[in-house]
Amino acid sequence: MSTSIERWRLRNGIRARWAALERDWQSVVVGATIVALVSGLGLPIPW
Amino acid sequence: MGVRRLLPGLVALCLGAVLARWVARVVGVNHLLVAIALGVIVSNVVGLPDECDPGVATHKLWLGSGIVLMGASISTATVLAVGGPVFLVVLAVTGLTLVVVELLARNVFGLTERLGTLLAAGASICGVSAVVAVAGAVRATEDQVAYAAATVLLFDAITIVVYPIVGDLLELSGAVFGTWAGVSMFSTGPVVAVGFAYSDAAGQWATMTKLSRNALIGVVVLGYASYYARRGDDGTASVRTLWAEFPKFVLGFLALAALSSLGVFSSAQQTSIEHAYNWLFLLAFVGLGTEIRLADIRSTGLLPAVVVLLALLVGSLLSLTVLSVLF
Repeated sequence: MSTSIERWRLRNGIRARWAALERDWQSVVVGATIVALVSGLGLPIPW
Repeated sequence: MGVRRLLPGLVALCLGAVLARWVARVVGVNHLLVAIALGVIVSNVVGLPDECDPGVATHKLWLGSGIVLMGASISTATVLAVGGPVFLVVLAVTGLTLVVVELLARNVFGLTERLGTLLAAGASICGVSAVVAVAGAVRATEDQVAYAAATVLLFDAITIVVYPIVGDLLELSGAVFGTWAGVSMFSTGPVVAVGFAYSDAAGQWATMTKLSRNALIGVVVLGYASYYARRGDDGTASVRTLWAEFPKFVLGFLALAALSSLGVFSSAQQTSIEHAYNWLFLLAFVGLGTEIRLADIRSTGLLPAVVVLLALLVGSLLSLTVLSVLF
């Protein structure tokens, strides 16, 4: 039970932080996330 | 903003991106131009449901993210070698366009001072974003903002078609074409689209040049705010404006360019990052296409359009001549 509440809080916290960011910083976060997925987890992106 | 509100528009962008990619492969036309055309057709002929608007409006976020990722493909050695003279060209053409539009608007065509200012900002820096940023600083009216934005969008639509044709006719190299587009076209989206439609090298030069131009927005907003404030017109000026208006995704682009030049990414990782920004640009350009409303463009006044056309011709011809000598 407590884990689901914690997860809910975490999700809300992330959402609030994301909404508070300027769009330009959101672009940087999206870019950084993709770089982390590609370089950290070796995610291949097809074209 | 809830994900559910964004979902219809995001799905529309994704479908448009996949369709644009498929059509481009079949027909053999550049995928970014197909994406823009698709957006224009959907919004002007079929019409998008209102539920799609919030999701489609995220297209600027995808453009910024794509530009950040593009940093990983930039050859910093080339930029350092040619960057200085190119930045001087950026400064010269930006300043010239600003002055030409202001002089023509005020002294030749008798437009109101603030409309001239908005047109000058839009034509010299970064299109509609600059119009909106300067409008806030000089307290322009909604009508003036709408007029200036429509004029900028009109020339975005024209230059998307005309620039690649001129580039092909003159057989310009990727570096010359990209820098020319970056220094003289208006909005960031069309510059990136036209650059990559010409060649990968042109796309990278176009984006780098346009980013350095966009970085000047803070200075221009500050200058105009100070000017109108001194005249007692209720404008506000602050050094904070420089940072507030600075396009922050440029920092992400520079960080990735630095990491890439340090050899942090393997070639397979670089290829994946390149694919990622190609998809992000597709999403962005489908959305950009939907913003080109032909009805709005038709409502552009003749005089503002003539002022901007003359400034575009001066800036475009001058920069092309200088760049042809430089490269």
